[in-house]
Amino acid sequence: MEYKLVPSICSYCGCGCGVLFEVMDGQLVGTMPLKSHPVSQGKLCIKGWNLHEHVISEERLQTPLLKTNGALQEASWDASIQTTAERFKKIIAEHGPDSVAVLASAKVTNEENYLIQKFTRAVLGTNNVDHCARL
Amino acid sequence: MKDTVKKWLEEKQVDMFLGYKMVHGHALPYCFQADRLDEVDDLVVSRERYSLEKMATHIAAVYPEMKIGMLARDCNQRALKVLDIWDQLKKDSVTTFNVNCCPSPLKNHGDCSYLEPSPVGPVKVELGIDNNMSVEHAEHLDQKERFAHWMYEFSKCIKCYGCRNICPVCFCKDCSLEHPELIRSGGALPTEVPLFHLVRAAHMAGRCIDCGLCEDACPMDIPLRLLYRKVGSSVSDLFGYRPGIDEGKSPFNLIGDAPTTEPRPI
Ligand code: SF4
Ligand code: SF4
Repeated sequence: MEYKLVPSICSYCGCGCGVLFEVMDGQLVGTMPLKSHPVSQGKLCIKGWNLHEHVISEERLQTPLLKTNGALQEASWDASIQTTAERFKKIIAEHGPDSVAVLASAKVTNEENYLIQKFTRAVLGTNNVDHCARL
Repeated sequence: MKDTVKKWLEEKQVDMFLGYKMVHGHALPYCFQADRLDEVDDLVVSRERYSLEKMATHIAAVYPEMKIGMLARDCNQRALKVLDIWDQLKKDSVTTFNVNCCPSPLKNHGDCSYLEPSPVGPVKVELGIDNNMSVEHAEHLDQKERFAHWMYEFSKCIKCYGCRNICPVCFCKDCSLEHPELIRSGGALPTEVPLFHLVRAAHMAGRCIDCGLCEDACPMDIPLRLLYRKVGSSVSDLFGYRPGIDEGKSPFNLIGDAPTTEPRPI
């Protein structure tokens, strides 16, 4: 039997509330507020309270999905990145860089989000970048 | 305290001990075990209160034979009593190391961090309910005004379910607060006021041990504790039962020999 409470930060939005993950035998079983956290002071919204659910959800995507012949199909990372790069290049060549946009995510780290906006601005050449957590 | 806990673990009086340990400046609930006995040196009594007994029920649900030790303040002890009555965590499987309520330099007993009331702001005094109000005081407000003030408080609810999730004595598998015919499911907001809060209040009758964790966890600062205190005082007046304090079954989990749907005199 192993039972741990692991402090972390909620990944749903930009507030950065403190959470405690309840881990039993290596399995994430629950989330509760971190009482002494300076931002959230022991309070959470409904999404924070249920953080563990998307991690253990059976519906969680584990591979990228590529739309092939009109339907989403599982694909490898290499194939997905390749296809995305080709489509970006084609669209930008035809319609200019402002015809594409990039949506970043709260589920990745700050540093990764920094890279996403840098890539969008410096490589793709557009300011069309936004984030799901811009509440 | 540390020596006792070490001894309990060594002598297998308990298989694990739930206490607190400082991690990155935060006192976190921590599970101490015999194979890592040295760690008991880091055991602390934290000012923050977590429902260690709720964690214990989660562990006991998977490992029913586990002998659990835990640090217990007054509120933890009251919750343990209720959990035992409702067959969620048997008394015999838990050994408590009793400590004073939250430590403070001013008082050495009964001074949990939550019991030091924090003053409420002018808007709340004007429109809502002062969280520190006594049940008696609340009852003597003008009825119309009282209703308006409570509705103001309830309508702030963001339906986070935090009050239910954190409550040490909330354990039902099917929760009425998720019943589609009572409360719209999903993220539908605003929630049904005052139904959401009254359903929860009714279900806390004979169970709420007045630990205050719900109000502590409420992001909208709704005076939940006062509401449940009122429910608790009704139960105490009618049945002479105070959850977590009085011994024996709660009037709500006594079933007569022959179940009946006939109304009975109280
Ligand atoms: S005070 Fe709140 S959290 Fe504590 S037992 Fe009562 S309803 Fe549950
Ligand atoms: S904790 Fe407060 S805001 Fe959240 S559901 Fe309960 S009453 Fe509503």
